[in-house]
Amino acid sequence: MSDTIELAVTRYRPEQDTQPWEQRYTVPCSDDMSVLDALNYIKDALDPSLSHRWSCRMAICGSCGVMVNGEPKLSCKTFLRDYREAGVLEVRALDNLPVERDLVADISGVVEHIEAVKPWLIRHSEPPVDTAHSQTPAQMARYHAFSQCINCALCYAACPQFGRNPAFLGPAALTLAQRYNLDSRDEGSSERMPWLNAEEGVWSCTFVGYCSEVCPKDVDPASAINRGKVASDINYGVNLFRLLRGKGDA
Amino acid sequence: MRKPWQPQQPRNWWLRNPAYRRYMLREATALPLLLYTLLLLAGIVQFSRGEAAFATWLSWLQTPAGLLLQGIALAAALLHAVTWVALVPKILVIDSDRLRIDPRHVLRAHQLGALAGNLGLIVATLWLLWPTGGA
Repeated sequence: MSDTIELAVTRYRPEQDTQPWEQRYTVPCSDDMSVLDALNYIKDALDPSLSHRWSCRMAICGSCGVMVNGEPKLSCKTFLRDYREAGVLEVRALDNLPVERDLVADISGVVEHIEAVKPWLIRHSEPPVDTAHSQTPAQMARYHAFSQCINCALCYAACPQFGRNPAFLGPAALTLAQRYNLDSRDEGSSERMPWLNAEEGVWSCTFVGYCSEVCPKDVDPASAINRGKVASDINYGVNLFRLLRGKGDA
Repeated sequence: MRKPWQPQQPRNWWLRNPAYRRYMLREATALPLLLYTLLLLAGIVQFSRGEAAFATWLSWLQTPAGLLLQGIALAAALLHAVTWVALVPKILVIDSDRLRIDPRHVLRAHQLGALAGNLGLIVATLWLLWPTGGA
């Protein structure tokens, strides 16, 4: 068993480079080393010019997403031991996003998409401060999986529709819209439905389903988006009915 | 100064990953079904031209090329049905305060419905084609 492994890292230094290029590093390999540990080793011991993003090291901050051998992964949750057979790890910045430098993808477009769908509880009336928004466990279970999103953008790197059209709101944003629409405490679905119904909304999804395969938190965005299509259909019917009765959109 | 690298989606993006290849195979099942639809339309056109033309069309169905096209269309239709029915529990979630149905039951109901529909179609066809039946 080899105690080293080779990393082929796609570099891009905006000051010098006109396009990305590959640089190889040999790093120690042990059972407990993650890809993030390997990148930190390169940064600390081999090449301080390498840029990568990370924070928590425990799959909750969502900062360290990269492509590992062509698959979107959190580098902290991906271990070198699983690539010993392959011998070499190809690491590059997340697909479908602008590359700021080396392994740092610019996710600001994704964040804007997420903000657009108003991912917070919207209430028309606030209950008195000494009472809580009560919710049964069954009501919470309806959105709980969708609320586990950590905004790591792996699903955007996995989505060929987002790669084709960056205006598509994409998996995480549409999942969060569903997450709040399904919350019994929320009263804001009429403010989110225009985003679901839009050309860039749920109907741009063709159910490739890879977003759900790569999600490190088992959120299942493909399910959320396609349930959003059902919600969008119902909303269309309801709005048509309301239109005939001379009322505004639901 | 910022100078982000803007990646372009390569034309062969769908060859790069097994998940994309499975997706494209599922979507591509529409193509043999299109050809099969055109084949059936050709049958109707030949039928309107008279008995001899229709008999020629019928005999073409039994040539190796005709059998191959029908075989591929059948395989594509089955793959299309199986892959889409498998996705139903992700789309059709019945879960409200008044009514909740286990996703496994939703899937099972769709599988049984598809099976019953197809078997019913075969039985009805056989009954209509039986020498004494349908008359």
